[in-house]
Amino acid sequence: MRLGLRGQERLRLAFIYILCAIVLIWALAPIYWVFVSSISTRKELYARPYKIWFPSQPSFESYQTIFTQGAKFRAGGFSPTADLMGAGLRNSIIISVGAAGIVTLLATGAGYAFARMRFPGRNLIFLLIMFMLPLPIWVSLIALFFLMSQLELIDTLLGLILIFVTLLLPLAVWMMTTFVRDIPAEIQDAARVDGANRWRLVYSIILPLARPGMVAVFLVSMLSTWNNFLIPLIFTRSNDSQPLTIVLTLFIGQYEVAWEDMSAAAVVTMLPPFIMALFFQRYLVRGLTMGAVK
Amino acid sequence: MRRPTSDSLYLVIVLAPIVLLIALFIYYPALDTFGQSLTNRNLRIRRPPQAVGADNYLKLVNDAEFWEVTGRSFQVVLMTLPMEMVVAFSIAMLLNQRFPGRGVVRTLAILPWMLPGVVNGFLWGWLLNGEYGALNGLLYQFGLISEYQVWLRAPEHQVFWVTVVQTWTRYAFPTIILLAGLQSIPDDLFDAAKVDGANALSRVRFITFPLLLPSFGIALVVEFIAAFQIFDVVWTLTAGSSAGGSINPFTKTLMLYNYELVFRDLRVGLGAALSYLILLMSLAVGMIFVLRVYNQGVQDA
Repeated sequence: MRLGLRGQERLRLAFIYILCAIVLIWALAPIYWVFVSSISTRKELYARPYKIWFPSQPSFESYQTIFTQGAKFRAGGFSPTADLMGAGLRNSIIISVGAAGIVTLLATGAGYAFARMRFPGRNLIFLLIMFMLPLPIWVSLIALFFLMSQLELIDTLLGLILIFVTLLLPLAVWMMTTFVRDIPAEIQDAARVDGANRWRLVYSIILPLARPGMVAVFLVSMLSTWNNFLIPLIFTRSNDSQPLTIVLTLFIGQYEVAWEDMSAAAVVTMLPPFIMALFFQRYLVRGLTMGAVK
Repeated sequence: MRRPTSDSLYLVIVLAPIVLLIALFIYYPALDTFGQSLTNRNLRIRRPPQAVGADNYLKLVNDAEFWEVTGRSFQVVLMTLPMEMVVAFSIAMLLNQRFPGRGVVRTLAILPWMLPGVVNGFLWGWLLNGEYGALNGLLYQFGLISEYQVWLRAPEHQVFWVTVVQTWTRYAFPTIILLAGLQSIPDDLFDAAKVDGANALSRVRFITFPLLLPSFGIALVVEFIAAFQIFDVVWTLTAGSSAGGSINPFTKTLMLYNYELVFRDLRVGLGAALSYLILLMSLAVGMIFVLRVYNQGVQDA
């Protein structure tokens, strides 16, 4: 049997969409399942064999529970974690927005310097910043822990923000350097001739043009900070500073905590990255691939 | 020509905080850690630490556990990278086709990469749960298993699932790199090959693969570092560690071992030595990465 040209094209598309369905199931099924778990009633979720792929009566009770009472134990009663979620959410927001804001400012100023100015030590400083990237973090973390104890910055939001700003610097500086370099030099040369000093130049010429780069740096930094686990694992002790990634593992640690509550906590923890990934993916990909993809 | 003072002032104000931060938080602690690796500092024992020379390093390389953990780290890398590259290459080939809705599929397909690693470990741990997990439910429903399985019981299965979840977490990066590589291959090449009678398979073999080699190179370097430093995913999937508990030995990789030595066992000197051995092991791969980044950032300027 021979297919016409349109028939062939239709067959090709059908084949492609089947493959797309497989890819999307692979990528999204675990996320879908944890969401379903978080809005299921205990009875349906713990049915064996499980065969309900969407709850008959979806409810957001688990979300309410984890924010008001802490997580339920499977045997009944509540874990002593009542204010962990609220505090975790607050801490995650403060840390990720704070670190991203500061690193964006620092990287923009430095990015301009590396891209457009000649000065002694330029290559050395740039290399020192970039060499952090592949450095296994433990080399610094061990002594940094004792340094932070001496500075009394353990278990503080300020301490976390400072560490994250430092760790984000290589990526942020690199992004801004390449971004400023791609702004045509003629534009600023004209301003120089007019006698503008560096501050005026950066503020009124570079900043407006570099805004997309700054947005990308901010979003990538916020995402990495929000998602980070190791740093708060080492440098936090209590809900004064524990972000959501830590709170989630505390729930998991409480062996008997109900799965629907842990699922709700997991959904809350991944919701901001999820939304950012849906709406700002272009910016994030540019940053996270370090310019390997334009 | 003299540098205007406003320039010097600008440089100092802009660069000083950065230099200060990396000096104080990265390089000074790195040196300090090295210093501590030469002592027998142990917070469990109340005595001033003494210099012990290279003892910690010798102790580690003569310790069976060190080699077991190192072997496991490389095992995770060697199992993850091929799986990841196959998944990434397949998805990149698919997304390189023209079809309506491609942008949406692309956005959704790379989502897992942007989620927190600890959440990913939790998602899969719950999916694979032996009592109520969805995988058991699904397979049972289709009659593929006759009773629920505890997927994470056997040690070798635990390592396998760790690499699966690492693949799930990271495949988006190589996918994007390979997709960009694919899109830069001119269509003329394929057309010419078609005219010469090359079939689809040999076109992939003789055109796509060779031209994608640089993209594979970047992806492999970055993913090597990511898999070698695996931590978050293991923590929630199989480490089985609530605060203070012991770390599951069957999926203990180098980073978890380092955490355990320093922050569980409080053997600071030994842990510091381990961190430097890890540095040595990843230095070669890391240097390739730095030089690439450096060349793009400063040399071309």
